[in-house]
Order: sequence, then structure tokens, then C-alpha cells
Amino acid sequence: MSSPPVLEPAGPAGPCDAEDGRRFPALRAILAERSTRFGLVLVGLVVLSALLAPVAAALTGHGPDQQFRAEALTTEGLPVGPNAEFLLGADGNGRDVLVRTLYGARISLLVGIPATTLALVAGTAVGLVAGFFPGAADRVLSFGTDIALSFPFVVTALSLVALNRGADGRPVIDPVLLVILVISLFAWTYFARLTRGLVVVLRNRPFVEAALTIGVSRRRLLVREILPNVLPVVAVYWAVQLPANILAEATLSFLGVGVQAPTASWGNMIAEAQRTSLYQVQPWFLLAPAIAMFVTVLGFNAIGSGIRNVLDPQR
Amino acid sequence: MALFSVEDLSVTFRRRGRVTAAVRGVSFAVEPGRTLAIVGESGSGKSVSLLAATGLLPETAEVRGSARFREADLLRLPRARLRAVRGRHIGFVFQDPLSNLHPLKTIGAQIGEAITAHERVGRAALRRRVIDLLAEVGIDDPERRIDDHPHRFSGGMRQRAMIAMAIALRPELIIADEPTTALDVTVQAAILRLLRRLQERYGTALILVSHDLAVVSEIADDVAVMRGGEIVETAPIAEITTAPGHPYTRELLGAARRGAALADVAEPPAAAPREARPLLAATGLHMAYRRRGRKDPVTALTGVSLEVREGEIVGLVGESGSGKSTLGRIVAGLLRPTAGTVALRDEVYNAPGRGPLRLRRDLRTAIQVVFQDPYGSLNPRRTVAATLAEPYVVNTGLTAAEIRERVEALVRRVELPPAVLHRFPAQLSGGQRQRVAIARAVALRPALVVADEPLSALDITTQAQIVALIRRLRAELGTSFLFISHDLGVVAELCERVVVLRRGRVVEAGPVRRVFHDPQHPYTRELLDSIPGRVARV
Repeated sequence: MSSPPVLEPAGPAGPCDAEDGRRFPALRAILAERSTRFGLVLVGLVVLSALLAPVAAALTGHGPDQQFRAEALTTEGLPVGPNAEFLLGADGNGRDVLVRTLYGARISLLVGIPATTLALVAGTAVGLVAGFFPGAADRVLSFGTDIALSFPFVVTALSLVALNRGADGRPVIDPVLLVILVISLFAWTYFARLTRGLVVVLRNRPFVEAALTIGVSRRRLLVREILPNVLPVVAVYWAVQLPANILAEATLSFLGVGVQAPTASWGNMIAEAQRTSLYQVQPWFLLAPAIAMFVTVLGFNAIGSGIRNVLDPQR
Repeated sequence: MALFSVEDLSVTFRRRGRVTAAVRGVSFAVEPGRTLAIVGESGSGKSVSLLAATGLLPETAEVRGSARFREADLLRLPRARLRAVRGRHIGFVFQDPLSNLHPLKTIGAQIGEAITAHERVGRAALRRRVIDLLAEVGIDDPERRIDDHPHRFSGGMRQRAMIAMAIALRPELIIADEPTTALDVTVQAAILRLLRRLQERYGTALILVSHDLAVVSEIADDVAVMRGGEIVETAPIAEITTAPGHPYTRELLGAARRGAALADVAEPPAAAPREARPLLAATGLHMAYRRRGRKDPVTALTGVSLEVREGEIVGLVGESGSGKSTLGRIVAGLLRPTAGTVALRDEVYNAPGRGPLRLRRDLRTAIQVVFQDPYGSLNPRRTVAATLAEPYVVNTGLTAAEIRERVEALVRRVELPPAVLHRFPAQLSGGQRQRVAIARAVALRPALVVADEPLSALDITTQAQIVALIRRLRAELGTSFLFISHDLGVVAELCERVVVLRRGRVVEAGPVRRVFHDPQHPYTRELLDSIPGRVARV
């Protein structure tokens, strides 16, 4: 396998460039990319709905965990479909699906963004050290990365969550925090491998050797010369990894070990719809969180591929 | 009647709504058995105009004008007809033979493909023809080498294989785009001789593209000089070399004369103060690399000793693989030798040992390096100002304002406009980048600068400017240089003493004048004979 490409600042970088494009030619080129714009619109929608979830709750008068058994359930106890009061219908407990889906966006972003960022920081640090110090440090860290990669995600996550029960049966730490930690525990390895590959290439570049001959310390070399060349690539990978981690949160919540009911998460909403089979009478119970998740993942993936289109010289 | 004539050719590129004219109203023609050379610096449009004339440019290019090849206008030919002409009637040789050969196919298969793309040939007959072709382009033992992959061929052999591909169908025209730029001087001379021999035998027309007038003068009949997308002068080679019409031609010629003017290195070396002890003394250096999975190590250097005096420029000459870069890296303290020592002013700073070399601060800053590749030697994510401030930030306790002042002075010293300070390396030309790299190297007033092929990635006109800069810096700052190069012309112009390295051993060393006038070792003689431009003149 070839090592990942070292990204160069792209774009038409002639000395004749316009003033605004002088410092960030790459950024301008990224924004000009169609898929980035498309992704930004979708992600903007998701962020907006997460922010405006309380507004929706206030307008409809339905709290996210509030049950309206009288209005939202039929006499047989089945949820009602979309109507003027409940725009996307209700779930099995008589809660507003629309409001819960909007609140679910908050959980997705609240878990996905910190988890991916934590993984980025940890993975980049490990990758920098492993790539820069050949020999024992590299061997130990690379081996550790391989071991971490070889753990099955779901099984490990399930057992970790099982451990998170105190004597009274209540969780020791906040489940949301735990989900963030579990996801980043698995996601950092990808960042570590990517960064290590980049650093191994950069380490032998003449500009690194030139810095050495000036007498630059190794720490300064890592931070000032190598890190700035790694960060853009890692940032792109953040956008690529984020939707995967949002899905991971949904997976854990779906399996009942992530975000706990009654807090709304797309994962546990889908799980509930599937478990109760109520999507057969009220399809929006399933469709609303599924479509929301689809839009979020599509948006971030579009942004990621747009950035890659511009920065990756091998395309 | 010209075989191939291009008239009023213009090429414009459209990219993200921006239109750039690469070639403007270019006309040239070549007749059977003649050689036309197109000369100019990179970006002058010489390659683009040939690619355009043969329909090899991508769709984004807009091509106007005409390119007549035996009555047919290539620019108006349908794609299928054009493909039939290319390869069969027009052969191509490009600059970088490695990237133009498929790494996973044998040389024989790739040359065979050039034939089968246009003709139906039986398997045995094809193999016979490929072997004949390989023999014709001077590859020894072609029966065996036909089944080798490109990585088993040296750079010169790969270029010979490319030429074999180009001549496979006996084309009437060969277009060679910088065919020798990536090669050593001795190999370059051999390739040029090969091209000329093939041309004489088959009466082929040849268009040779180069940035080096000296290379061209070896085999060209006519020369077209290009600059900024236009042809500024077209004339027979004799006229170009004796009575150049355009000032730019004179500039190119001045740059190219260096090699030819070896006989005139009469000026005695700038009277450097002779001191008893040398500035730098490398003694008995051995270097062996272990290869992964192999028992026997590769020996890069064997018993190399070298001295550089204060204020002296010493040339280190040899082909690629001769160990000159390894020696440079050992002197620069980037690599430990497996035996021997290097001392600066009698103080040993590099000797065999384990782990990376750690140097005392004053020793570390006393020896600086300028690398070959101006694209790789500057951090692409830092501005020129940040790169040039680094030596001061790391080694001095100066305030930000004082550092800025020094950086500005530094930029003036290497003759760059102050505006470059806020640019990133990608926004600079190759010559400008090399100036920045030189500025960084001399920032802390080092005693010695190791310059590892600092010119080989630059245009010949830019080379002349950088040589002048190095000479001026030596005069102003008294810095010594260890100047590593495969270009003897530059070494003759710049250096006082020269050390010739071959296969990791010093085969000859001495004052430039003595070595160049009276070479003792046959290899030095071979190197001297390979300098382009000498054949035509002698």
C-alpha cells in the first residue's frame, strides 16, 4: 500500500493572484467546489434544526419527552399519523416524532463532534510520535494501534457499558460521556495510522533536514514544521470520520447501550420503532430519524469529498 | 517542402474561468534529415506548442493555427487518423523515462506495444524486431535485457528504451522533449550521439526541445528561441552561436558558454588567505548502507578525504550514484559515517556512532545546507518570512522587531523583492525558492555551506544568476562552499578546487585549472569530454 499523499496548498497560486486569494487559495477553491456547497447546506440544515429544537418544542407545545397519550394515541393505543397537531405523527408513547427527531440531531452532533475531535487529537499525537521516532517508539505505538484496531467494536462497547453500572444499578458516569469515550477509543486508530504515514514521508523531506541543520529542537520541528503539513489532511479526515461516528452512536443507542430512553436519539428511536413494529401503522416513526441520519451523513461526506477533491494532488 | 510545418499556432488554457495564453502565433518547420531545436526557459511554451501541434493537449486547451505534416493538417484530422499518424509517422521521446515507462511491464513488452499498436506482427517476429531495436539503441545483451522491467534499467538505458519505442516504426519525424535533462553528463552525451546517428542513418527529421543551448548546439541545424509563448528568433545554429540577433538569445548563449569556455579558466583563484589548518577536514570516510533483506551492504564511500579552506569554494563532481550526496550529508552532520571523521577547525564533530548526531549549537549553525530540490526544501505551509525568521528564533534571543529587520536585510542580500516575504513557497518560482533556501543557509553567517546540486532543478539562465549570487556571498561574507554538482561547466566557473568522485572513491582532486587542463584520471577526461557544446566547437 502506498503511503497517503502529502497535501500541498492547492489552487492557482501564481504571484499574480488576487489579494483575497493570497493567503487561503485552497479555502477559496474548496468553497468553489460543488459538493462542498451541497454538503454545507445539508449540514447547516442539521445544525439549524438542532439549535431550533427548543423553538419547535415551544411552538407545538410538545416537550421532547412529554407523552400525549390522550391526543396522540388512538383508542387501541396505536400512535396517530401526521396531522395538524403532530406534524410527523407520534410514537408508541404518544410523543411528538418531529420534536424528538430535532432533539435527536443535538445528541448526534453532541456525541459525534466531540468523539471525532477527541479521536483526532489522540490519534494525531500518537501518529506524530510513531512517525517521527523510528525504532522502539514506532514499533510499540504501531503495535498498540494494530491491537486497538483488532477489537470488535460492538462487543467491546457492550462490555464497557455493562461495566458502567454501580452497586445501585445506576450508571457511574454519564452515558453520553461514555458513548463519546467508547467511540473515540475506536476512532483514534485511523487518525494515528494516517498521521504516522504522513510523518514518515515528511521526516525525510529536505525542509525538515534544513530545519535540523539550523538547530531546531525536535519538539519545535514536530510542532512547527511537520504538524502544519499534517493538519489539513487530518482535518479532511475528521469530516470523513464524523458521519461514521454519528452512525456508531446510533448503533450503540439502537442496541440499547448508548443514549438511554427517554432521551431522544435517532438510534434509540429507530430501535423503538423496530422493536414495537409500530412503523407499520405510523411509518414516520421510523422514517423521520432515518431520513435525518441519512441527510447528516450525506452532508458531511459531501463536504469531505469536496475538500479532498481540492487538496489531494493525486486526483 | 517541409515535412512538418507549424504556422501561426496559438494555445490558450481555460481553467476556473481564467484564460491564459500559453503560446502566441508560433511558426516553425523542419525538413527531412534536419534537426530543429526549440530552446527556451521552462514556461516559455516550447513543450506546449509541440503537444498542441500533435493533438496531445487536453480538451481544456484551445488550439488555433495549423500544423501540416505531409499535406495533412494535424489540427483538423479526426482522432482516429491522428492516432495513426502519431507513433507510426511521428515518434516521441520525453524527459522523464521513468514515469513514461510502465513499471510492471517488461521493456520488451512496452516496445512491442509501440509496434503492435499500428501493425499486425507475429510473436516471434515481434521479439526479433524488439531485440534488433534494443541493439540499435545501444543496449548490451538485448536478448536478455528484453525481459527486464524498467527498474532494472539505469536512467540512460531507460531513455534508450524510450528512443527504441520512438523509432520502432521508422517514423519520418522524432520529437524529443528535453530527452537528456534528467540524465548525467556522460549519459547525456551518449544519448545525443545516438539521436544523431539514428537521424543520419534513416534521414529522420528531428525536433529537439531543450532549455540548454549548449546541449542543442551539439546536433541542431536550426534553432528557434522561445520566450513567453513566442518565438523571438529562428536561425541556423552557426548564426545563433556567432551572431545572435535577439538579446534573450545572447543571454541564453552566455549561460551556455560556461561549459565551452573551460579553456578560459585562466583567471587565478581569488587569492584566498592560505592558512595552515583547513576549515573543514574529512579524513578516511567510509559509508556503507545495510539493505533490507540482504546480507551484503552497499558501499557508498570508500576512504574519502577532503579539505575545504576558509573562504574557498570546492567543487565535488561525479555522476549520480557516485556518493557525492552521501558525502555532503556526512559533512552537513545529517548522517554518520561508518568510519572516518569530519572536523571543523580541528574540532571533530562527526564520527561513527549510534543514533542521530547531536551537534553543539555553535558547530550546528556553522555548517548549513542548500538542497537540490527548491520545491522540497521550503515548508509549503510557512511564509518566506517565517522560514527565514526560524534561524534567528531558534538560535538568538532577538526580539521580533530585530528579527524582522534581519530577515528584510537577508532578503535584500539575496536580491529578492520585499514582497516575497508574505508569500508561500508555492507562489515563488524555482529560482526564487532557491534564493530563499540560500538566504536561510547564510542567515547565521555559517563558516561552510554544503550546496547539494543547488542548480540542477533550475533553468540555465536562472543557474547563471544563482552562481553569481553564491560568488558574491562568498566575497561579502567569507563563507566557504562545498559545491556538489554533476555540471562541470558550473564547477569550472565557480570553484577554486575540484574533487572528482567515482563509485565512492576520490579519483582526482586539485585546483580547477590543473584538473581541467591536465586531467590525470581517464574518468575525469570522460567527464570533460561529455560537456555539451564542446563537440560542436572543437
